[in-house]
Amino acid sequence: MNMHMEHPELEYGKTVGNAFSADPKFSLRDVEVYYGDTQAIKGISLDIARNEVISFIGPSGCGKSTFLRCLNRMNDSIDICSVRGRLELDGRDLYDPKQDVVELRARVGMVFQKPNPFPKSIYDNVAYGPRIHGLANRKAELDEMVENSLRKAGLWNEVKDRLDRPATGLSGGQQQRLCIARTIAVSPEVVLMDEPCSALDPIATARIEELISELSENFTIIIVTHSMQQAARVSDRTAYFHLGHLVEVNETNKVFTAPEHSLTESYITGRFG
Amino acid sequence: MTDLNTQAELVRRSLKRRYRKERRFRAYGIVAVGVALLALITLFSDIIGKGYTGFLKTTVTLEVNLDPELMYLDDASDKDALRMADFKAPLLAALRQELPDATTSREDTRALGGLLSGYAANELQDRVAADPSLLGTRQVMTFLAHGNVDVYNKHAGETAYSIKLTPQQQQWVDTLKANNVVNTEFNDILFVHGDSREPANAGVAGAMVGSLLTMLVTLLLSFPIGVSAAIYLEEFAPQNRLTDFIEVNINNLAAVPSIIFGLLGLAVFINLFGMPRSIPFVGGLVLTLMTLPTIIIASRAAIKSVPPSIREAAEGIGASKMQVVMHHVLPLAMPGMLTGSIIGMAQALGETAPLLLIGMVAFIVDVPDGLFDAATVLPVQIFLWAGSPELGFIERASAAIMVLLAFLISMNALAIWLRKRLERRW
Amino acid sequence: MTTKQEQVYGDHISQQFNEDLSDLKSEFLRMGGLVESQLNDAVRALIDNDGHLAEKVRAGERVVDQLEMEIDEEAARIIVRRQPAARDLRLVVAVIKMVADLERVGDEAKKIAEFALSLSEEGRAPRGYVEVRYISNHVATMLHDALDAFARLDWELALRVMREDERVDEEYQAAARALLTFMMEDPRNISRCMAVMWVLRALERVGDHACNIAENVIFMVKGKDVRHTSVEEAEKLIHAKRK
Repeated sequence: MNMHMEHPELEYGKTVGNAFSADPKFSLRDVEVYYGDTQAIKGISLDIARNEVISFIGPSGCGKSTFLRCLNRMNDSIDICSVRGRLELDGRDLYDPKQDVVELRARVGMVFQKPNPFPKSIYDNVAYGPRIHGLANRKAELDEMVENSLRKAGLWNEVKDRLDRPATGLSGGQQQRLCIARTIAVSPEVVLMDEPCSALDPIATARIEELISELSENFTIIIVTHSMQQAARVSDRTAYFHLGHLVEVNETNKVFTAPEHSLTESYITGRFG
Repeated sequence: MTDLNTQAELVRRSLKRRYRKERRFRAYGIVAVGVALLALITLFSDIIGKGYTGFLKTTVTLEVNLDPELMYLDDASDKDALRMADFKAPLLAALRQELPDATTSREDTRALGGLLSGYAANELQDRVAADPSLLGTRQVMTFLAHGNVDVYNKHAGETAYSIKLTPQQQQWVDTLKANNVVNTEFNDILFVHGDSREPANAGVAGAMVGSLLTMLVTLLLSFPIGVSAAIYLEEFAPQNRLTDFIEVNINNLAAVPSIIFGLLGLAVFINLFGMPRSIPFVGGLVLTLMTLPTIIIASRAAIKSVPPSIREAAEGIGASKMQVVMHHVLPLAMPGMLTGSIIGMAQALGETAPLLLIGMVAFIVDVPDGLFDAATVLPVQIFLWAGSPELGFIERASAAIMVLLAFLISMNALAIWLRKRLERRW
Repeated sequence: MTTKQEQVYGDHISQQFNEDLSDLKSEFLRMGGLVESQLNDAVRALIDNDGHLAEKVRAGERVVDQLEMEIDEEAARIIVRRQPAARDLRLVVAVIKMVADLERVGDEAKKIAEFALSLSEEGRAPRGYVEVRYISNHVATMLHDALDAFARLDWELALRVMREDERVDEEYQAAARALLTFMMEDPRNISRCMAVMWVLRALERVGDHACNIAENVIFMVKGKDVRHTSVEEAEKLIHAKRK
């Protein structure tokens, strides 16, 4: 026993559990992220399977958001940030100079912590993505895309009569669902969610979680969350990050009933944080 | 329990002290605002009190006998004859009719002539030239009174103004006023005439048009350049020593005395490029140089204030850098940019020093026709009038200040309106 | 509570959580102790033919039931308020299940006490009591060890309890055969032997419950589910490498 007191040294690049998949959507090997001289991500290797929901948990500053942002190169805009290692989406290198960032982000959409609708109408918010990517040729086609996305996001019935009203007039939960609709309007293959419910009340949170379960049929979803209950509720697999290490990845059920690593155990049972 | 009670007592006592402090601070604030308001009211009442008369003119309405013999003019369509004709004679005759006690002596004749504006004869000539059929008829016409009569009419008895009319003339004017020959009317001349040697005939139209043209050049150049520079520096420029250096220099430029920009304009635009002096185009160029730092700084602040979440949202959907800027950052920053620009423009509108150096200080009678026509601007006109010896110019300078203020207020109002309008879009 | 228990369950950031868990454990151990003495008293009442003691056991059963409900409530409260995870979750889940086992042991003790009462009315019956004493000692030790394993989080002891259960089953078979021979010898013994048979059966059930408790202790400590597996397999599972 005795695993409770001793914190085994975090071994560089060592992850316990079940980090690999036979048919990965994302294949990430020895990923390292540096902010200037500080290393934020320490040699993480992980596969993310097709159409799975995987959640990243861990204490603040453990690198889970940083790691998430590598997956659609949102870190590119930070000058001092550099990413090393091999990151592949469907076998293609994400950081290949030939890989177009705009195209990548159309495939790997992102939903942020705070609902951030554009200060435009509800319709324009959802139509923005299809418009800039030229996905619809006619108005009718665009209308259909907007309706589909809003339906998938479970928002259609609430907003169908006021599509031309400003999106900022919606409630926080509705705004976040609108942001999800906006993201899925461009039919991405992967949706990254960075603490999507942290600013929402429990009912709105439940709606989003329900939505995540529904979306998981068509999308690969990677969600960073501070709520372990949320991770337990929505995800197939859970990954625990600690100080830039990926400590443990396993089936969510396993992680929350019998974690293999003592650090994971300490974190999820509320012994540090 | 007692401990708690004493604590509550302590808190209550400190509360009293804190509220007292707060009240005192509020009182200071009210006093400060009061002082500022008082200063503003003093300024406005002084300017308006001195200047409202500048919006009034004194006219003389006479029944003129356009007798060809009196004027030595037979054919009004003959231009040479028209030039040779004496248009003063019918005016003097008409005045004599109103003032029976005036003799035909040289002194009285000159004194009579001194009641009318020096341009009265020219005006009569123009009217006859325009309509030759008037010759030989009697017409009731209104002429501008002489500047001295104007001053006497408006300011008789005020110590600040010395009356330059002889007692005889003063008596005449009083008589004419009593007979409704001399009247006080709204001074439309101020808004249609350019500058003049004679106060009664001087207007700010030239300076207004000059200011407008100069501002137009400034706006058309400084807004696009300033906004583009701000966008580049904020969004696209790499963070390195060069951009830091540029940033420091832009901030410094905003603090450079405006006369330096005038010297620069003189050296570069006029001496180096050989552009003509006194033209609104060069004035606009110089003011552009002066306004640019303000616009760049305001625009950068506006861009910085766009929430990063919006930028992230657009990037997360796959908008390119350019699309993020054009679709989201620019519309959100536009109200701030416009406000900054209009404040910069308002500052430029009131600027005199740099324009003096590029020769926009000349005496220019004609209203400018275009960007390359010699012109002056409102503040320079005020500067010129305020320094001129004729009494009539003092009130006109005040009137011009009011016109300038009206300009500034309407520009600021435009800024506020634009901001409200653009912000209401979402 | 042992120090080890405190180390394992007592270092949450929330002090209140620590206390909730420690309350749950001490209540459970109190119930365990009570059930143990119920069992011992019932067996003694049977062997010593002590009707008074048997009555006491019957009355004690009500306290056991009461404790069971209290512990269940406490466990439910912890789940609602703390959403326990990992070993805390396993502790709460295991306690809920073990409480049910303890309550059943209490029922068996009551059953034995009732036989003791009816047998004492009929007079002494030396036949079969040797087996009863032997098995009851064995089973009582198992129960005690299982509770001890819980208190000390000693999975090796729990594994031993599991192993003991197989021996109890064998002993039960042997005792049943012995009683059968008595019955064949003298049909007049049949009804009394049947009663002893039921007592043995009850003791064997207690052994099963002790074994369940031991399995739950292993689940609690090691996070491995060893129900419905042989002891050898269980051992293999437990020793599977973990960090």
